[in-house]
Amino acid sequence: MTDTPVAPEGGVPADAPAPPHGQIPPHGQVPGYATPEPSGEAVINTANERMHDGVNRCPKCGATEIQLRVTTGMLICLFCRHEWAETQIEGIVADEVALSDLTGTTVASGAGTIDADAGMLTMKCSGCGAEVVVNTAEATSSRCHWCRHVLTVNQQVPNGAVPDAVLPFSITRDQAVEHIRAFADKRKTFAHRQFISEFTPENVVGVYLPYMVVDGNVSADVHGHGEVQTRRYTRGSGDDKETVYDADVYRVDRSVSFTVDDLTLESSAERADMTAFVNTNNVINTILPFDTKNAVQWNANYLVGYTSERRDQDVEALVPALEHQLLSIARSQVRDSIRRYDRGVRWEAERLTVHGTRWVSMYLPVWLYSFYHEDKGRAMVHYIAVNGRTGETMGSVPVSHGRLALAALASGTVLEGIAVAILAVS
Amino acid sequence: MNTMVIEAAHLVAQASSESDTPWVLLLLGPAGAAGVYWMLFRFYRNIDKSHAFETETLIDAQPVTGQDHKVDEVRGTKRRSINGNNAGDHRTRVQRLH
Repeated sequence: MTDTPVAPEGGVPADAPAPPHGQIPPHGQVPGYATPEPSGEAVINTANERMHDGVNRCPKCGATEIQLRVTTGMLICLFCRHEWAETQIEGIVADEVALSDLTGTTVASGAGTIDADAGMLTMKCSGCGAEVVVNTAEATSSRCHWCRHVLTVNQQVPNGAVPDAVLPFSITRDQAVEHIRAFADKRKTFAHRQFISEFTPENVVGVYLPYMVVDGNVSADVHGHGEVQTRRYTRGSGDDKETVYDADVYRVDRSVSFTVDDLTLESSAERADMTAFVNTNNVINTILPFDTKNAVQWNANYLVGYTSERRDQDVEALVPALEHQLLSIARSQVRDSIRRYDRGVRWEAERLTVHGTRWVSMYLPVWLYSFYHEDKGRAMVHYIAVNGRTGETMGSVPVSHGRLALAALASGTVLEGIAVAILAVS
Repeated sequence: MNTMVIEAAHLVAQASSESDTPWVLLLLGPAGAAGVYWMLFRFYRNIDKSHAFETETLIDAQPVTGQDHKVDEVRGTKRRSINGNNAGDHRTRVQRLH
């Protein structure tokens, strides 16, 4: 059962028609409306106006003991078992404009510039009137120390802790444990002995990681040279015989316009750092994509029982990563058009023209098993990550270099024996 | 893993036959050992894995347009492909035009 979105008092429902062109509603008043900022960015208000900070009650019985029921992906009241879900964010941020008509930079209100000092929030408990301080850098919910009501942060505090949307877990903890166990079981022979002895997949943790989900309308052009083989022949004789080629050289120019829907970027600087041999963040990146179309408007109750990591990257800081991915997509898109160059193409220059982007911040669900390991004085945390929606699993298992070397030596010896035998016969 | 070893053996054998110097076959052992080590390491550590956003993102592209002009000819080169071939290397950036 899904609750019908309710308009805030004196507000306008999310599905209300857009105001006439040129009449901009006050910022922060109407969900879904894009409001131009002095910086030139348009802002879509995604705040969950239906909810007030503090006590979020079950719409049916008024209890505050609410959490996610993973098997249905809906919130459940632990008192009366009523289930409901928040409104899907897609209907709020994606207006009637087609992606191919997207212009300028549009930023959802939860993806705005981060103010690192805005972490402490004082909420007034509507159950007893007490004031409760929540450090939103650490948690998005707290319990009133007087009346035991659960207080949740639903205001979009500008410190990156409250995103526009959240995609609830749909893979249960037990399923995640099985995925991790199966992944590790395939990698035991050459795993480090310490990993095998201490492997405890039951220690998996459900984490909501911060991402920026971006729609884009872009054009790109690439320029370079390609070669088409015209002749292959041998010249010389005896020991000087060699194969040589003739080829025609072409100047190659390609242009392509395209839209991307829900390109997903890490918005935590630590997670975005994927330096091989230093960390294993790339395995978390590998379990993308998520079904972000099913993300719902923020409600802190979705996080009850899970941990979360705060966004610390603004839109501006993520632009280079976005442009890199858009250029990579452009190069991928033109690949089919250069098949005739059987000796390859050397791309030498590329240009990206971004017509429009739309940014939405999201918490996406990841089951994370981590293993701290030190190898020759160098510490590293090895992750095995499970996509909390699809179950896709990827990980890093520390290896026993001695065992690997032995296996390599054995294989090399066999091959060397074959080579020596061939030489002896010839 | 086996595929990698076979490929390494094939490459060495090819090099050997082209140059008619059978001693090149002696590289088969070290090359195979290095290949096995690297393949196993990759299977466990997955350091080369990442999200394939080029293919796993919803992309709606217009038809590709462009031009091809013959500018030169190469005669009798021993190179098997164009210098700096990066046709399939989408993530390596080249000069950015503005």
